[in-house]
Amino acid sequence: MNILLDLLSVLLILAGAFFFIAGTVGLLRLPDLFTRLHALTKADNLGLGLIMLGCVRFAPDGLYIAKMLLLWLLIMASGATASHLIAKRALRGDGEDY
Amino acid sequence: MTTTEAPAPSASVIARRLVSLHGLTRLVLFAGFWLVFAGNDPQSWIIGAPAVLLASWTAERLSRRRGRDVTLGGLLRYIPFFLWESILGGTDVAKRVMRPEVDIAPGLIEYKIRLTEPGARVFFLDSISLLPGTLSADYRDGIAYVHALDADEDLLDPLRRLELRVADLFGERLGGEPDA
Repeated sequence: MNILLDLLSVLLILAGAFFFIAGTVGLLRLPDLFTRLHALTKADNLGLGLIMLGCVRFAPDGLYIAKMLLLWLLIMASGATASHLIAKRALRGDGEDY
Repeated sequence: MTTTEAPAPSASVIARRLVSLHGLTRLVLFAGFWLVFAGNDPQSWIIGAPAVLLASWTAERLSRRRGRDVTLGGLLRYIPFFLWESILGGTDVAKRVMRPEVDIAPGLIEYKIRLTEPGARVFFLDSISLLPGTLSADYRDGIAYVHALDADEDLLDPLRRLELRVADLFGERLGGEPDA
């Protein structure tokens, strides 16, 4: 049973790492700012969620799990908000360095 | 909370802002955040107490809420939907960039938002960016400008469904006709 749970954790973390790599590949291959934001927000959000899910088993206590969950939520919120602001500045063309 | 002392000059201002029930809710919420992040160390409140008070005060000042809050039932219905859509969104973008030829047809579409509560609108805009193929790029005069990885797909339908979900989350009934 323990081995199965370990295996599940490893698979989740590997899947998470895959999506982080996919986000980076997107950043390198996609042609413009908007499409790159797509790759970063969506792939990284999923990658982080999977890695944290894989780590749940190794958390020392419940507070630690709550911390990971809260971090995931805050990172998603800040990531989505930041990408909206970056896209908005680029779209309106009034940013200082776009 | 073990300490409540705050910088003297702003203490009365903060106190006035925190009188309302929502101020109190925020205070408890941010204190809970601090507890989760910093752990159960009393000394951490030397930094934590002022930070929690300032966060509550800032949130109160920036808030434009009109009266609707997230409902528990709505939240329970939204979470599985959101998790599933996140998986779809991540795999969709991963597939597109991993192909030998990057598979995109980007474009910008306009979507008229029917949600009225400001918090619900922000939540909707952020959710758009985490869903498959869409990114909220701008918001002006009630119109969301949505960037699409594949503008040839029908995006109006998924956006409408998402807006209905967010409306349900905030216990809001959408009025007016959906419009692109």
